Amino acid sequence: MNNIRNFCIIAHIDHGKSTLADRLLQSTGTISEREMQEQVLDDMDLERERGITIKSHAIKIDYKRPNGEQYSFNLIDTPGHVDFAYEVSRALKACEGAILVVDAAQGIEAQTISNLYQAIDQNLEIIPVLNKIDLPGADPEGIGQQVIDLIGCDREEILHVSGKTGEGVPALLEAIVERVPGPKRDDDKPLRALIFDSVFNTYRGSVAYVRVMEGTLKKGQAFKFMANKEEYNAEDIGYLRMKYEPAKELKAGEVGYVIGSVKSLQDVRVGDTITTVNNPATEAIPGYQESKPMVFSGIYPTQAEDFEDLRSALEKLQLNDASLSYEPETSKALGFGFRAGFLGLLHMEIVQERLDREFNIDIITTVPNVQYEVKLEEGKSIQVDNPSQMPEVADIDAIFEPYIKASIITPADYIGPIMKLCQERRGIYVNQIFMQNNRVEITYEIPMAEVVFDFYDKLKSGTRGYASLDYEFIEYRKGDLVRLDILLNGEQVDALSSITHRDKAYYQGRRVCAKLKELIPRQQYEVAVQAAIGSRIIARDSVRALRKDVTAKCYGGDISRKRKLLEKQKEGKKRMKQVGSVEIPQEAFLAVLSMDEDDR
Amino acid sequence: MSGIYIHIPFCKQACSYCDFYFVTKPGNKNAFADKLVEEIHSKKDTAYSNEIIDTIYFGGGTPSLLSAEQFDKIFEALDDSFRLDLKEVTVELNPDDVSKEYLSALKSIGVNRVSMGVQTFDEDLLKFMNRTHNSAEALKCLELLKASEINVFTADLIYGNPGQTLEMLEKDLDILLQFDPPHVSAYSLTIEPKTRLGKQLELGRLIPAEDETVEKHFELVEEKLKQKGIHRYEVSNFAKKGSEAVHNANYWEHKNYLGLGPGAHSFQWDESETFAYRWENEPDLKKYLQKTHFNESEKEELSLQSLAEERIMLGLRTVKGVSIEKLEKKYEYKLSERQLVYLARKEKEGKIHFASDSIRLSSSGLKIADALTLDLITA
Repeated sequence: MNNIRNFCIIAHIDHGKSTLADRLLQSTGTISEREMQEQVLDDMDLERERGITIKSHAIKIDYKRPNGEQYSFNLIDTPGHVDFAYEVSRALKACEGAILVVDAAQGIEAQTISNLYQAIDQNLEIIPVLNKIDLPGADPEGIGQQVIDLIGCDREEILHVSGKTGEGVPALLEAIVERVPGPKRDDDKPLRALIFDSVFNTYRGSVAYVRVMEGTLKKGQAFKFMANKEEYNAEDIGYLRMKYEPAKELKAGEVGYVIGSVKSLQDVRVGDTITTVNNPATEAIPGYQESKPMVFSGIYPTQAEDFEDLRSALEKLQLNDASLSYEPETSKALGFGFRAGFLGLLHMEIVQERLDREFNIDIITTVPNVQYEVKLEEGKSIQVDNPSQMPEVADIDAIFEPYIKASIITPADYIGPIMKLCQERRGIYVNQIFMQNNRVEITYEIPMAEVVFDFYDKLKSGTRGYASLDYEFIEYRKGDLVRLDILLNGEQVDALSSITHRDKAYYQGRRVCAKLKELIPRQQYEVAVQAAIGSRIIARDSVRALRKDVTAKCYGGDISRKRKLLEKQKEGKKRMKQVGSVEIPQEAFLAVLSMDEDDR
Repeated sequence: MSGIYIHIPFCKQACSYCDFYFVTKPGNKNAFADKLVEEIHSKKDTAYSNEIIDTIYFGGGTPSLLSAEQFDKIFEALDDSFRLDLKEVTVELNPDDVSKEYLSALKSIGVNRVSMGVQTFDEDLLKFMNRTHNSAEALKCLELLKASEINVFTADLIYGNPGQTLEMLEKDLDILLQFDPPHVSAYSLTIEPKTRLGKQLELGRLIPAEDETVEKHFELVEEKLKQKGIHRYEVSNFAKKGSEAVHNANYWEHKNYLGLGPGAHSFQWDESETFAYRWENEPDLKKYLQKTHFNESEKEELSLQSLAEERIMLGLRTVKGVSIEKLEKKYEYKLSERQLVYLARKEKEGKIHFASDSIRLSSSGLKIADALTLDLITA
């Protein structure tokens, strides 16, 4: 009897995936009440706070059917954000079935659809579930129709569940047994185990989470990663329970962990295949990709002396996050720092927040940008991921920028504002599809550069949080792009350079100049604030020279106050950034870097 | 040589710009005077009673709200508790409190200098400042002062007020100069957060004068006073030769001073030590009146480094400047290579006069003394 079921849960943020997962663990006795922490699977603080799963995890569940049969479930959790689409695809690959969880009050969202399509593409059995049916606003009838329209199932196939009360959970457990096919159990073929996730453990090195597709891995066996050919010994293998549960072997169809003194997480790549050294498989499991950063940003310590701390923090983060890349970079304005590459915006935000929270380092980040392909006059092509390194205008033949296809699902009331936003961001309209419950899916092709900065916030605020966004990279396209420089007293402030569409450059230049004028304190000389494309000045403002700066009264009690102020100013001065002869307070940088698109 | 500062915290009403400690309730001034006498007596047979006191300054609040009898009592206590060898005894006065009799009573007690809060002669500005007096009262008071035996007096002016034109300021100066004052303190209006003006500013109901305007005021004051032989010797202080304030100048040179009364500050530096103390009496009249003994408040300890920077800050505000030798000897502070480069550069720009023995600011440097001080100590 094939009593293994490997499945994942596909759901939108807030639709109750984690609560439902907790309920499955609880009702099968996988964890006790006492061990029960809310949303067990999300074990990073940040994840719990945002209610999202950043990295996928897995857990083995023992399920005893009412008729007494014993089953082993492997629940593989998937990240719910578009930045991690590749990780999602690998997690799906490890499963035979997927539970599609839809909030019975809110309906289907954009990311759910894209993950669902991936699951269908990989021939996963879909179990549609309407969650939160205990809520007064639940509309099982209407939302159920959405699900039927989407996956073409029968109404009877849709389960009604409440992760909160536990209602419908027993039926769901039975459906997993009955509907999800058991894995193929080709134990005797050469080993092929798919890495769907990896974590770093300080004491044991990198741990691979694998699904054995074919063959058997035995404890102590020599194995290798097929992508980078590195060989290791399977020192410890076993099942993923609340803790690691050692086992002698992992057989085809099973899910577990593999530890082999792998020092760097870079070697344990999601999507790679593990095989044995003695009897290797000839081909790896298809679909492996190197992670490719899509969004770049400079990260600088606010205090120059924190540079080494920042370096070691990034190193530590990378141990747990192989998709983070970075290299040292120097800015005239900001000093020593790093240029980091991220999978997407959320990924970037998470890294920035972790630097702040877990490592307590104050950082300045430059406006995020994408990677451009620049064809030079001489015929060569280069890639530019730092605006200040964009070649001079005369040397450039053409600039190409990445485009994405953005799918936005929204209540129909917000079509207007969304279209306006997309047009402003140079979006090209593709189509709109009306769905059940007065909802619309709008598709645009948009330059990714226009989306990396505050697009998502604008989308959310313009639709009271109702719209959801999914995107995928489509291609590089030629764009009329220019490098917009900001100069102070003729000196370029490299950290404020940006690549922008020519039509937007003037407006943006004026806004940045005006903002800087407001934020740079008067200095002993007049400071010219200019925006330029190449050698052409397109906007200009000036900070007038300091005319008067002297305390009027300075007697007995005033002196102590004045000295304390002086101490504060000394501290503030340490945090000033120097561009030529001009001192710029940190706040001015931050304010310009965080100016939203309307200001820019 | 040390000074004594005595804080008299009573006011008839709150001036809109003032953030000194004061109460506007009439209160029992007799009880206050008695308590002050107690505090003075409490210093008897302490370290302070050995030092020679050469200046006393009554500030406020409004000292002129005390009667001559109350002053008499206070002086008696001072005389009893300290070694007085007085060069300068100053009382701050408000024009509406002054009479001929009052002045001669003060004189007979030993007051030899009065400081009068004129601020402006413009009625509208006086209202804006919420002063209790009008310009007629100020003029009358100045006349009384001229006629009195206490003919060493100083008048306070405030310039750079919102809406105040250069002509308005010139008029204020012309009126004041008719009385040929030996000393003038002219302050540019500072809007402090916890004052009525501060609140108005916060609410957007007040537009402060532009820096460029205040700069012109600053220059006009200097020029008009200079014509009458009244020279700037500190950012906000002007005097005829020999009439400079002794007590205030002592603050700037880290001479010791003992503050008495609620909200008064004290400074003590035994120059054989590499640190000094500064402290403040709790600014609370009610508690002050209930005191049974006068423990000293928590003291702030100042390192030699802090003192040196403070001295630079204070010294650069004065026309005399800072002595480099003194910085090295008394403060063990040596100018760094980078500071010397900075000074040379600022000398070239005409902001600083920098010689082997002293650093002092030029007229144009004084206008931005705070910026220059910060630059110099962080260079």
